[in-house]
Amino acid sequence: MTAVARSYFEDVPLEHVEETPALTLTEAHVSIYQGITRELGDDAALVPDLLPLCFTTGLGWRVPKPPLAVLAFMGLDWQVVRRLRVGDTIHSRSRIATKRPMRDGGVVIEEREVIDQRGEVVQRGRFTYLVAKRSKENQA
Amino acid sequence: MAELRRYFDEIQLGEEYESPGRTVTETDIVIFAGLSGDYNVLHTDAEFMKRSIFGERIAHGLLGLAIQAGLFTRATQAYATLAFVGLRWKFKGPIKIGDTIRLKAKVLAKQETEKPDRGLVTVQRTVLNQRDEVVQEGETDLMVERKP
Repeated sequence: MTAVARSYFEDVPLEHVEETPALTLTEAHVSIYQGITRELGDDAALVPDLLPLCFTTGLGWRVPKPPLAVLAFMGLDWQVVRRLRVGDTIHSRSRIATKRPMRDGGVVIEEREVIDQRGEVVQRGRFTYLVAKRSKENQA
Repeated sequence: MAELRRYFDEIQLGEEYESPGRTVTETDIVIFAGLSGDYNVLHTDAEFMKRSIFGERIAHGLLGLAIQAGLFTRATQAYATLAFVGLRWKFKGPIKIGDTIRLKAKVLAKQETEKPDRGLVTVQRTVLNQRDEVVQEGETDLMVERKP
C-alpha cells in the first residue's frame, strides 16, 4: 500500500487565488468530446459549452500541489458568458470561497472562472466538494 | 437541419422527455481522464478505490453531466438554441463502470427577455441509473430563438 500525497480539508487555503497554465482548444478536443457525449453542434468551429468546464479541473492538476482529497463532488452552479471557438486559448482562475467542517469531512466551495486569450471571463461558477479530513483519512 | 429545430414559441411548459439508456464504460472514463486531464484517484486508481466507500472507480461527475447533455439531444427534437446560459447541478450518487444511465427532462419555465427574438427556457433534468436511483439532477437555462 503506497501513501498518496493529498491535500486535506485542513490544508485548503481560504481565499487563495490559483491561476492555471493555459490550453488551446482544438478540433481534436471537440471531436473526442463529441465521441463520448454525442452532444453534436451545428457549427464545427464552436466548442461545446460544457467542454471548457470539463477542462477546468484538469488545468488545476497542472499547478504543482498535492491533489485535493475529494470524497464527493456535490454540486455545481455554472454560467456561460460567451461561446468559445476552436483556436481559443483558455486558462482557469479559482479561489476557495467557503470552508465548512462536518463530522466526516468538510464542505469546500470553490469559485472558478474560465478566461480566454484576451483576458475575458467566458465561463464562471462555483464547485462544491466534500473533502476528507486529515485525521479521519489516517484512521481509515 | 434548421427547419427541424423547435422555436421558443413551440416549446410547451411542462413538456417531458425521456432519453434512451447509455452504459458508461471504463473506456469512457479513461478517455475522459485523458481529454480533461482530471486524473483524480476516484476515476483512475482501481486499487485505491477498493478501499473507498464506493469500492471501485467511479465516473467523473462532469462526465455524467456531459453524457446527459448528449442524451438530451437523443430525447427530443433539437431546440433552436442560441446559447447555453447556465446550470444549477447536484451530484447525488456515483456512476460506476457498467452502469446504464438515462435522462428524464421537463420544461420547468419559459421567460421572455428584453430581446424580442429570443426567450429563456429552463429545463429540469434528472439522470437515473438502471436501478432508477437519481445519480445527478439539476436545471439548465437555454436561450432559444423565437419563431421569425
